[in-house]
This record gives sequence, C-alpha cells and structure tokens, in this order.
Amino acid sequence: MHRGRTLLSVIAIVTGLAAGGTVLDSWALVRVATREGYLASDPASATLRVDSAPAALLALVRAVPGVRDAEARRSTTARLTANGTTLTAFLFTSDDPSARRIGRLRGESGDWPPGPGAMTVERSSVEFSGVAVGESVRLSVGDGDPVDVRVSGIARDVGLAPGWMEHVVYGFVPWGTLRALGVPDRANEIRLVVQDGSLDQTGVRRVAFAARDALQAAGLRVTNVDVPVPGEHIHAAQMDSLLLTQGAFAIMALLLSAFLVVNLIAAMLAGQVREIGVMKAIGARSGQIAALYLTVAGALGVAATVISVPIAIVAGTRYGALKADLLNFDLTGYSVPLWAIVLQATVGVLLPVAAALFPVLRGCRMSVADALRDVGIRDDASPPRPVLMLGGMSRPALLSIRNAFRRRQRMVLTLLALSSAGAVFIGALNLRRAVRGSTDLVFDSQRYDFSLRVSERHDPDSLTAVVRAVEGVAGAEAWSGATATIDREDGTLGNGFSVLALPDSSTLFEATLTGGRWLQPGDSLALVAATGLERQEPDIVVGSRLRLIVAGKAAEWTVVGTVAGGPAPTAYVSREALAGFAGRGAGAVVVRAAIAGEASQLDLIQRTRAALAEHGMPVASSMRLAESRRSTEDHLLMVVDFLGAMAWLMLVVGGLGLGSTMAIAVLERTREIGVLRAIGARDRSVLLLVQAEGLTIGLLSWAIALPLSVPMSLLLGEAFGRIMLPVPSRPFPDAAAVGIWFALVVVVSLLASAWPAWRAMRVPAARALAYE
Amino acid sequence: MTNSALASATADNAPLIRLRGVTKTYPGATAPFTALDDLSLDIRAGEFVAVTGESGSGKSTLLSLVAGIDRATRGEVRVGATAVHSLPEARMAEWRGAAVGIVFQFFQLIPTLSAAENVMLPMDFCDRWPARERRDRALALLERVGVADQADKLPSRLSGGQQQRVAIARALANDPPLLLADEPTGNLDSRTSESVLSLFGEIVSSGRTLLLVTHAPAALRHASRTVALADGRLVSDSRA
Ligand SMILES: Nc1ncnc2c1ncn2[C@@H]1O[C@H](COP(=O)(O)OP(=O)(O)OP(=O)(O)O)[C@@H](O)[C@H]1O
Ligand SMILES: [Mg+2]
Repeated sequence: MHRGRTLLSVIAIVTGLAAGGTVLDSWALVRVATREGYLASDPASATLRVDSAPAALLALVRAVPGVRDAEARRSTTARLTANGTTLTAFLFTSDDPSARRIGRLRGESGDWPPGPGAMTVERSSVEFSGVAVGESVRLSVGDGDPVDVRVSGIARDVGLAPGWMEHVVYGFVPWGTLRALGVPDRANEIRLVVQDGSLDQTGVRRVAFAARDALQAAGLRVTNVDVPVPGEHIHAAQMDSLLLTQGAFAIMALLLSAFLVVNLIAAMLAGQVREIGVMKAIGARSGQIAALYLTVAGALGVAATVISVPIAIVAGTRYGALKADLLNFDLTGYSVPLWAIVLQATVGVLLPVAAALFPVLRGCRMSVADALRDVGIRDDASPPRPVLMLGGMSRPALLSIRNAFRRRQRMVLTLLALSSAGAVFIGALNLRRAVRGSTDLVFDSQRYDFSLRVSERHDPDSLTAVVRAVEGVAGAEAWSGATATIDREDGTLGNGFSVLALPDSSTLFEATLTGGRWLQPGDSLALVAATGLERQEPDIVVGSRLRLIVAGKAAEWTVVGTVAGGPAPTAYVSREALAGFAGRGAGAVVVRAAIAGEASQLDLIQRTRAALAEHGMPVASSMRLAESRRSTEDHLLMVVDFLGAMAWLMLVVGGLGLGSTMAIAVLERTREIGVLRAIGARDRSVLLLVQAEGLTIGLLSWAIALPLSVPMSLLLGEAFGRIMLPVPSRPFPDAAAVGIWFALVVVVSLLASAWPAWRAMRVPAARALAYE
Repeated sequence: MTNSALASATADNAPLIRLRGVTKTYPGATAPFTALDDLSLDIRAGEFVAVTGESGSGKSTLLSLVAGIDRATRGEVRVGATAVHSLPEARMAEWRGAAVGIVFQFFQLIPTLSAAENVMLPMDFCDRWPARERRDRALALLERVGVADQADKLPSRLSGGQQQRVAIARALANDPPLLLADEPTGNLDSRTSESVLSLFGEIVSSGRTLLLVTHAPAALRHASRTVALADGRLVSDSRA
C-alpha cells in the first residue's frame, strides 16, 4: 500500500548514502594510494638546481647531516612535434632511470628504461599529446637540429603534476639523445631526501640549505632550492579541500533524505491511525507499537545500505580514479578500506531509525479516543494569515496555494532541500563567472599574443630591434627575469618565485592594481606582487619591507603594490632595479601580432624564431597566450564543475522530497479529494490542484534560493580559494542563472508532483462517503 | 443536464429519478456482498423523500448510485434524461457538479477555504456562472441558509449547525434540481437538526427534489414520502 512512498524513501536514502559514500570512498582510496603509492616512491624532499653534479659532489651532499640520499638528473625543456602539433616537453635524463631511488619510476608498458635513440613517455602526457608507443616524435632544444626519436614505452612518475593538466609532455631520454639534441650531458638537478621523515617544510629547508652551502663551498653554483610540503603530493591539499566541501554537501543530502523517511512513516501512521487506536484500545502499549514502526525504518535502512554501498564503491572508485588522475596516480590494486564501508552501513541503518522516531513518538502519543474518531476531513494546522488573505484568484488556485502551507514542518524541510540545491546551483554559476572573470583579469593584463624564450640573455634593445623588423609583428618588448627567494629573519628561505622586469612604459602588460601603486621611474628597490605570490608569502602586504635574494644577491626591497595575477608566484620590478642583480640582459620577448588566427600566428612565431636565430639569438621555447589561457581555465573550471555537481545531487534529493511530500499530502487528503469529486471536480481539476500545489512549493523554493545563493556564493568562493586560488567574489546571481534555475525548478516540481497528482485523480468520489 | 431538459421531463410527468432492477454487489473479503437487491423505485420532481432502514440496509449505497458516485452492478439508474448507470466516467463529475447537490453527515467542508469560498468552489468546477458573479451568488446562498454573517470564516470557526448550513449552500451552488443528503443531522443536536430539516423543507418547496437518508424519526415529519430499506430491498413506501 505504501509501495510508492517506500520506494521513494529508499531511493532518497540511497541517493544521499551513495553520494556521501562516493565522496568518502574516493577520499579513503586516494588517501591510501597517496600514502602507499606516493610515499613508496620516496619522493624528493628538496631539489637543488645546479650547473653540474659530478659524482664526488653527490657524495658531498649525502654527507650533509640530515640527508639520507641524493641523486642527480638533468631536466631539459624541449619542443616536441607529434601529429603535426608542437608542444612543450620536459625531458628527464639520469644514468639509469629504472634504478632511480628518489621519486622512483615505474614502467607501465613497452620498454623501460628507454634504449638508445628512444624515449619513454610519462603516463599523464600520453592522452592529451596523442603520442603513441611505437611512433616517432620530433624533438628540438633551442635552435639545435631536430632529432627524431621513437616512443618505446610508458612509465609513471607519481611525483609530477599531470602532464595533461600542465599541457606538457614529460619524457625520459638517455644521455645520448640529449647529446644529439645539442644539450650538455651533465646533470643540472640534485634531488635529496632527508633522514627524518617527520620534518616539516621549514625543517627540510634547513637541511636543503645546508646541502646548498656545502655545494657552494665546493665551488658549485646553486641557482635555486625548491622544497615542497613534505609527504604531500603537489595537489593533495587541493584535493582534500575539494572532497571536504563535497562531503559537506553529501551529508546535507543525506540528512534531507532522512526527512523522506519521516514522511513515509508519517504516511503509514496517517493511514493506520484507527488501527493504532484499536491496538491501543485492546491493550497494546505505545512501546510495542513504536517498535513496530522503528523496525520498518530499520529495514528500509538495511535495504538502502545494501543498494548504496556497492554503488558508492563503484562510483567512489571511479571518482577516486579521476582524482588520482589529477594527482597522477594509479589506483589499480587498491580497494576501498573496510572502515569506510562499515561507516556507511552504520549511518545507513541508524539514520532512518532516528528519523522515524519523530513521527512515531508523535503518533503513539495520540489518545485512543482521537485515534478512533478519525472520520471527517482532517482539519490540520491551518495556513498562515498572509496566505489566507490572498485573493483575486479562483478557489482551486487558492486551494493549491493554501494547501502547500498546510503542513508547515514538512514544507520547510522540502523548501530547505530545494532551495539549498538552488543556492548551490546559482552559487556554482556565480563561481564560474568569477573564475572566468579572474582569468580575464589575469590575461587581460597580457596584451601580447605569444612569448619567446631565448636560450641566453641578450641586450633588450637588440632583441626588440630584430623582432620588430619581422613582418606581421605589431609590437615587441624584451622582458627580463630572475628567480628570487625571501630570506626570512629565522635564517630560512622561502620557496622560489619569479621576478619580472618590464620596460618602463610597457604597452604589452597592463597591470590591474589590487592595492598600492604600480612601479614609478625613480623607484629604487620596489616591487609589485601578483596574487600568486601574495598567496605563497602571506607576509607580503603593501608597504612591507622584505629581504630578498635575487639572482643570488641579497637586498632589502619594498612592496609598493599588488596586482591581479594567476596562481604562479610572480613579482614585478623595474629594469634598472633588476639590472643591479641579474645584469641588463633579457631572456624573453613578448610579441603582439598584427594578424589574428592560430595558423598565421604559428607562422609568425616560426619566422620570428628564424630571424632571432639568424642574428645569433636562438629561441628555446615559445608559447601562445591563448593556449596558456585555455589550459589555466580548463584547470580551474573543472574544480568549479566538481562543486557544481553537488547542486544536482541536492536537486535529486529535493525533488524526491517534494514528491514524497506531495504523495503524503494526497494520502492524508483522500477524503477531501473524494469530496471535491463529489461536488463536481473533474479529472483535470484534481490533477491541476495537486500540480499547482507542488509548483507553489517549487516556486517558493526558487524565491528563497535567490537570497540564499548570496552566502552560498561566498562560501563556494571561499572553498574554491582554498582549493585553487582566490577569485574576486561574485555573490549576486545574473539573470541567466536565475532563469535557468527557475526553469529547472518548474520542471522538477511538475515531475515530482506528477505521480501524486495521478494518484489524486484516481481517488473515487465514493471516498467522500466511506466512513469505515 | 440542462434546466430545460429537466423542465420537459417534469412536464411529461415522468419521474425525475427512475431506478429499475438495481442491484449492487460489493466484492467482499470472503464472499460477494449484495448491498442492494433488485431495487426499483420512481421519484417525481418536487418530492421530499426520506430513506430509512437499519444500519447496513443499503441507504448510503442507494444514494451513491443516484449521485453517480458508484455504479450499479445491474439495473438502470436514470435521473431526468440522463442514464447515470452508463454515463462515461469522464463525464460523470461534470454531470454531478451541475445536476446533483450532495450534503454529507460530517459536513466535509474544505478546511482551508472560507465559508463563501466553499460555496464558490462547485461554481468554479462547473463554470456555469461568470467568475465575477460567483461571490455575490455565494453570499446570496449563505443568506438563504441563514449564515451570511459567517461568510469569511474558516469552517473550523463555525458551529456544527452553521457548518451544515454552509454545506447545504454549497450543495445548492450550481442550482441543481436534485439534492441528496446522507444523515445530514447525524452529527447535530436535536434543536439544530430541527432547523436544518426545516431549511430542507423550504428548499423543496422552492421546486427541488430531495432524497434524505436518515435514522431520525423527527425527520420523517418533514418528508412527503418515506421509503424504508431492509437488507437491500424496499420494504415500505408511504406518502404523508
Ligand atoms: N465499499 C464497500 N465494500 C464492501 N462492502 C460495502 C461497501 N460499502 C458498503 N458496504 C456494505 O454494504 C452494506 C450496505 O452499506 P450502506 O453503507 O449502504 O448501509 P447504510 O444503510 O448506509 O448503513 P448505515 O446506516 O450504517 O450508514 C453494508 O453491509 C456495508 O458493509
Ligand atoms: Mg450510510
């Protein structure tokens, strides 16, 4: 008799449980995989960039107190052409990559390690680049001659940010290939692991700087020291924040699904009031009756758990795999830990029982006399005054609206589910706009079409003179850069960031100030920090003075302003200021093309490279702005979509909630509907009555979602800031978001009340007379 | 049915309600139960018929067959020119709304609508009067049953007698020629019952036909004819 409603409740609990379980399972899986997979690879604690790393010096590093092991490798930036497209490649070379002890690699298919003249591609770069095992790709470095190498296998390096995300092809090549490419066959990185696995970032940094000092004492130049957060994959913190946010919504969905159980049990009780009265009259105690209904709720929970746990395992494994893909992990061989399943089962069984307690306790308190007197139309809580004051419409319309307000508790819960779904939906759309807006902000300041990196520094004026002479170039500027680190008072150094020096009257960079001012002629050691740097170094505020080591030389700098920028930590300084540290030479040229279109710009890039090479200034790499913009945006929007997915989840639960609310309303008002039929209500009238009631609740939830979306947008923006990067908050919905959500709510309301309306239509007029 | 069709039916002096060999069998839990057994009965326009009988004798069943709320297992039920027993389900509600007014024992007013709105509701369903005339008409009907001053109150604020008067006004909403009432005084005290029964008497004198199921002997005095049922059969039929 309550088959439909039971089904709805089970579906709702399954939805909530499966969603929560999916998030939990994927989190547990990724955690296990990171722990075991990432840590098992023995990731590098620190990486030192050096000129060369003779074996004797490696022994020197290993002897530094606190260092457990050290290895050398060379990383080379190259250009890779496959299937007609040219991409940036990072090539890694070490003596025997398969014997690497730090950041261990694993061959996945084909040859491992790569033989002479061959290359092994890192797993995460395979799909997006389209390279395939057995095919040849063309590599070139700087203006060296291109070399064709065969892709002979695929390996995985769990320590790398995924190639598809970074738009970079990672490859492992032997020394011989580097020689053929014209690259010196010496290592340029020393990677070390510390002895004490419990050290934090600062502790590791101390050890790494001791190693740097030892190397410098031996006469080696160390240009950069990079120390990641120990034991954590590059993107692990982001993933945790994402899963945490999603988990919060899943729990909300789960709690709302519990409300369907409340509805179901209330419906059962409504239909059995007289039976309960009779049972009580013949001596059943309240406890016995309560136990009966709680058992039903428990059984529902068991049924829902049995269905949802496997769904969560499958979906969680898939979602986990997606996450793992983002972290460049492989989940094969790992399974969802038992504790996660036990937790889901416990919640799944107990939650419905807890939810059922509300109506059961209320039902059992009803007196025998009241229960047995259950005859006429139920005159339950009447609608609030303002709703009664409504006028100017037909009685059926009035009836629909007033009926919606009849059971306020139930309505509030339904509204809560639907309007929070709306708030998340609108919030996610706002976030999407905010993200778009902030990438706009970052890229709007870049007024060039592509950038070229030259192999060695050159005089800025000679660089721009050559480039401006190329046909199709509308403007060119030479930018110079260096790496810098903050020299903290406690003697530790911060992570490296880049310092960019632009010409005084740059037209190809237009800063969007977020605080302070831009650089002025006459500024001495002044810098302007971009968003990414502010995030990395929270001490940086306008007016603060910092001790920086720029290109190896320490000095005190003043922060004069902040500008909007992407996630990469960057600071802007004047050419004169940087010249005192890194010389006047510029390493990059940014170019504005006179013509648009990908093909013609690629052609222009080729011609510019040729012109520079002809003048003895070979180009190492080039990047189109549009391309880097797309990869940044893809990256960010994917996380927005993950958050937005929660809105759909809530909408499903909200829709089910509305459906069950309408179904129970129809059940409770069977006699009333019978009366309506007896006094002449046609099928269509009854159908409309119920649909309009559902629609009333839906539209109300829409109206509530609008103001609710403001704090939700801020909340999502906050979460996004923690996961990815801070974006300017956009708390107010635009017309499109409001309109789309309106349409969704109308559709869901009509769908949700369709079945109850159908049931109402089937109520015979005879129910008006039946008192039995 | 239209008023003119009704008028022609009356002019012919044909009965307004014509039951022929009506049998109603309910599919019981163990064996089928016959609530009405081969019943034939004619009721002319303008009659005030009291239907009496023991509990379970089939009175309510008879009423629901005439109202088209339920269908006869066998036999014919005609009201005016309409063959109710064979009316398609889709047209039933429409016919009922226009041709029959029903008054229930437990009043069965819609709790979220005011007295006047309850009276307007059948007009909304039937759509015979223009929308802007409906409220005036409802107020006139409430006036007629003596509760005009309660028009804007919710049913829960009214006494039992007042509620039943509103329910009668609702039954009259679409000006049906036929009124059916199932123990309308069953839930009222004797003084209130008496005044409600007088109201029914007035309504009949204004040209309507009334079929009233009752247990109350007092009701019989108001009726022009009394029909008694026992075990689904007609056992007596007397005119005052
Ligand atoms: N829907 C039904 N299903 C099965 N049996 C029914 C149904 N409706 C009525 N009956 C049975 O038919 C018989 C006649 O019922 P009905 O309601 O017409 O009696 P009644 O004369 O109105 O009695 P009361 O004075 O108690 O109202 C009763 O025995 C009743 O149990
Ligand atoms: Mg009866």
